[in-house]
Amino acid sequence: MTQIKKFLPYFIAILAAFLAAGIFIAALGFNPFKAYETIFSTSFRTPNGFIQTLIKWVPLTLLALAFTVPLSSGKFNIGAEGQMIVGGIGSAAVGIIFADLPPALLIPLIILAGILAGSLWGLISAWLLYQFNINEILTTVLLNFVSFSLIDYVCTGPWRDPAAGHPTTIPIGENGFLPMLIDQPPLNIGVLLALVATVGVYLYTNKTTAGYELVVTGANPRASKVHGINIRQMFLFSMVIGAALAGLSGAIEVSGTHNRLIEGMHSNFPTLGLIIGLIARGKNQAVPFVAFFIAILEVGASAMQRTLLIPVQVVLIMEALILIFILLSDLIRRRQK
Amino acid sequence: MDQSAILEMHGVNKTFDKVVALSNVDFELKQNEILGLLGGNGAGKTTLMNILFGLYKMDSGKVLLSGQPVTITSPRDALLKGIGMVHQHFLQINNFTVIENIILGSKVSQPFTANYAKEEALVQKLCTQFSLEIDLSARIETLPMGTRQKVEILKALYRGVKVLILDEPTTNLIPQEVDSLFQTLKIMVKEGLSIVFITHKLREVLSVCDRISVLREGKNVISLTRKDASDDMLVRAMVGEGMDLKNSVIFAEGLVSDQKTNKPAILNVKGISKINADKTQAISDIDLSIHEGEVFGIAGVAGNGQRDLAEVIMGIQPSTSGTVFFGGEEITKEDTKERISRGFVYIPEDRLADGFLNKVSVAYNLILGYHHLAPYSNKGFINWKNVKKSSKEMISEYNIKTTGPDEIGGNLSGGNIQRVMIARAFSQNSKLLIAHNLTRGLDIPSMDFVYKKIKTQSATGVATLVISEDLDELLLICDRIAVMYRGKIVGILTRDKFEKYEIGRLMSGYEQSQEETGKGK
Amino acid sequence: MSGIEVFLTDFLKLTFLSMVPFILAAQGTMLGGRTGVFNVAQEGIMLTGASVGFLVGYLSGNVLFGVICAMLVGGLFGLILAYFTTTLKMDQFVVGLALFFMGLGLSSLLPKIALGVTLTPPLIPTLPDISIPLLSKIPFIGPILFNQNILVYISVILSVALWYTLFRTNLGLRLRSVGENPKTADSLGISVNQYRYLTSIIGGMLIGLAGAYLPMVYTGTFTDLMVKGRGWIAIALTFFGGWSPIPIMFGALFFAGVEVLSFRMQVGGGIFPYQFLIMLPYIATIIVMVFTFGKAKVPGFLGQNYDRERRSL
Repeated sequence: MTQIKKFLPYFIAILAAFLAAGIFIAALGFNPFKAYETIFSTSFRTPNGFIQTLIKWVPLTLLALAFTVPLSSGKFNIGAEGQMIVGGIGSAAVGIIFADLPPALLIPLIILAGILAGSLWGLISAWLLYQFNINEILTTVLLNFVSFSLIDYVCTGPWRDPAAGHPTTIPIGENGFLPMLIDQPPLNIGVLLALVATVGVYLYTNKTTAGYELVVTGANPRASKVHGINIRQMFLFSMVIGAALAGLSGAIEVSGTHNRLIEGMHSNFPTLGLIIGLIARGKNQAVPFVAFFIAILEVGASAMQRTLLIPVQVVLIMEALILIFILLSDLIRRRQK
Repeated sequence: MDQSAILEMHGVNKTFDKVVALSNVDFELKQNEILGLLGGNGAGKTTLMNILFGLYKMDSGKVLLSGQPVTITSPRDALLKGIGMVHQHFLQINNFTVIENIILGSKVSQPFTANYAKEEALVQKLCTQFSLEIDLSARIETLPMGTRQKVEILKALYRGVKVLILDEPTTNLIPQEVDSLFQTLKIMVKEGLSIVFITHKLREVLSVCDRISVLREGKNVISLTRKDASDDMLVRAMVGEGMDLKNSVIFAEGLVSDQKTNKPAILNVKGISKINADKTQAISDIDLSIHEGEVFGIAGVAGNGQRDLAEVIMGIQPSTSGTVFFGGEEITKEDTKERISRGFVYIPEDRLADGFLNKVSVAYNLILGYHHLAPYSNKGFINWKNVKKSSKEMISEYNIKTTGPDEIGGNLSGGNIQRVMIARAFSQNSKLLIAHNLTRGLDIPSMDFVYKKIKTQSATGVATLVISEDLDELLLICDRIAVMYRGKIVGILTRDKFEKYEIGRLMSGYEQSQEETGKGK
Repeated sequence: MSGIEVFLTDFLKLTFLSMVPFILAAQGTMLGGRTGVFNVAQEGIMLTGASVGFLVGYLSGNVLFGVICAMLVGGLFGLILAYFTTTLKMDQFVVGLALFFMGLGLSSLLPKIALGVTLTPPLIPTLPDISIPLLSKIPFIGPILFNQNILVYISVILSVALWYTLFRTNLGLRLRSVGENPKTADSLGISVNQYRYLTSIIGGMLIGLAGAYLPMVYTGTFTDLMVKGRGWIAIALTFFGGWSPIPIMFGALFFAGVEVLSFRMQVGGGIFPYQFLIMLPYIATIIVMVFTFGKAKVPGFLGQNYDRERRSL
């Protein structure tokens, strides 16, 4: 009963968001009922739809965690996009240079390279924050723009695939492809990696002393410092962990989904990751569930555009509305106390 | 005194969240009087006056000004109706000048230039009239507390208030400044103002007020003229029937037992200095040693380096030079966590900012700082079972009103937040307790409880460093008192040498040689 | 004229031209921040301003009308920010980020709704240069400073006017007091909310205008993500300028100079791959922050909400 009471405001918020978005869709001259039917059924009607949803869930979860883990210590990592891209570049580089290594060696190496490259990219902002106390929102965002040029350079440089019409590298060695969990429709083990990362984050933040320090730093950095916690180190750690998760998602995209580096492969995942993180109100445990929900919407949205010709951007508006209504519902609960 | 009432409040009720702050309170201020509004912390004095000043909205009740009912919805309203308030924490803008602070929010003669000559002339006139001396072009942040208080009073006078409320105005003042403030108050009453003087200090009320009203737990207790009042009566009114006065520390004066300097020194601070990032000297060349079981006090006007000293001893800030020894071992380079492991406990001055976590649970709060020690954690993992168990124990021992260890800290009331912090500090296996303004915000029974805790702890050999701006508190509980002025220790007195005005002189930076001229004030 | 002089004239003229969006967005940020509202939605507001300014300008055939609408939309964002933070007291960063997403989505959605999918984007006329009589005839300086579009002049006048208002008028004194210590301001009868709404809305309008400048001067059309981080750079610029109008103006000149330099060098070709030149403004911004961020003077209550009845211990 109390559980229902606890979640009721969220349901109402989400319903209100759908209602508002429905009115918007109707105002654009489309049938909102058909739109919602498509959005919610696509993921569950066919195995392929469900697999597609899972495939989207992987980067969405990882990128949302890349935002919420630093947020646990009170820092805003808006740079998951760049960290994912640079992670992808790292994986692609290893996958291309060491293409002939056996899978048992190459696959872990590619994953590790992605994590490491992403972490290093995040470390720049984290270090600037640690050393000079420079606002992390700005540095992470600015580094995103730098990463756009970087991936463009890599995809049009020496590893360019001349056959592709879009800036793309040649494929990584076949030994570096992520193994399949299901062959048809294809689902690689990236989903397991994301699951492991999610559980790892949960254990870290809820069960360890280091995780306790992370959480209290986010709750009140000044009080934490006074009570012996090295908060600057916490900021640094949490930013780097977040970046590592983003780097991992880059690695999975390269070695699992595309088997190569493609400019623009990050799609709108990083933005969605931020929205998911905010809808989850920064709670790491809630992220995988919210991410799954958003994955359903996203998969449904593409289907909606294909079959009903409703622009996909409508879903972005819908997601923004959910976010706003959730924030508002929080407020109402606070007021009621 | 048979003047008519200039201001009345009837049946005032106010609730914060679920906490009742005022219930059915009546209040009356007469023309040309100084009314002492007396009560312990949490009695509702400030809340009542904040309502009068339009900062808080009352749930129900009414306000009469010169017999006419009025509604005051904002400070602007209050000022327009001639009611001014000097808050305990001065409401001033540090990087503005004195004149800018005084005229802020009021109409000026030349709104499109930064020329305030006309206003300055007016303020100067007030300065002479009330004998308040002030440099109007000085920046607020450069001024001492006593002067900043004069700015606050001028702000109210400039707006032509008829009623002036002063909230704990003596908190940051040395005894000499307190005397001068009382002079000013008497001049103001002569010039036609009526004054409400909020305080928790009996002696102040008895020395300056014409009439006294006592509040306790948000309710009226008594109102009487000074000649009808006595110490005992007011004490009883403030603390209520429930408290055992004979065995209290506050009213029975009995914390200090024996000469503790015979015991070995546990903390030795030698030549500690700290230079701030902006090259100013925060503390310089501090030497002190505290003995096992000793209660060592640090007196001083706020902002003379007390916080820096506490934080350097705790390892929160690094010192620029000097050494710290604990139990004979040098710990200068150790960080806060290592010092906590050695048995250091710190109660910071700013409880909410430096000591409490609003967004996480009570249990999280109760282990903050000690979370890495047994029994709370083991090999890098938190033992939540133990944490919950000791949280429950602390909640019941310290009478913290909460639904349990899992309640979010932000839901707690101010008094309960204090208890959480006190529970945390006194539940540790400590060797050295550093407490800054330990009892600020506590009601009288809680204050007494804390003093008793210190007494018990020091009997077992725990050394205590009490930093306080409340001189009376230090005089009550300390074995020795050191006085800080501009980052230096300017004198250490043993209990047999305690004398209020002498300490006040040290607090204001008078050298020993100037002692005689200082006495004239 | 020698080759270097031609290059320099051209470079400086473009620098003054490119400083405008930085000035407008940073002054808008500064204005809100001076009362304590820290807007971080610049990028989104600028995108929406660009999108709306272009669309309305194109559809109505009246560029000025487009500009006004862009400012109104920017002001609306400012209003929403003020409402959520000042009235509802929600976290300023969270609301700002949410508004950033809204702007991002809206800017890309609006053209698709209004114009459908088009192969060749429609164009609006770009702002003409206005030569100031006599002054524009001064050798070297004339063509650089006095032969520019109207918003170049306006942005400079605006900066000076903001400085005067903030530091030489009673209104400015009140406004600054709200950002330094709202409780004090409140206790003296200054309406904290009113000033926060006011500056947040005007700030939003300036940021919206900054966005509209891009299609109006650079491209003549709207393309997705065309703001390219200028909104974020504007925040860095605001810190760089110590939240003061005049230093912000000169700072904008610096950031614009880097932008033009990066662009010029790409066109000129050279030893570096062009991608590394595109990075230049962003990296320069980060480096600048290293040297200025710690020392920046910041309004005392920046980014914090004020609750009159919140009690402290």
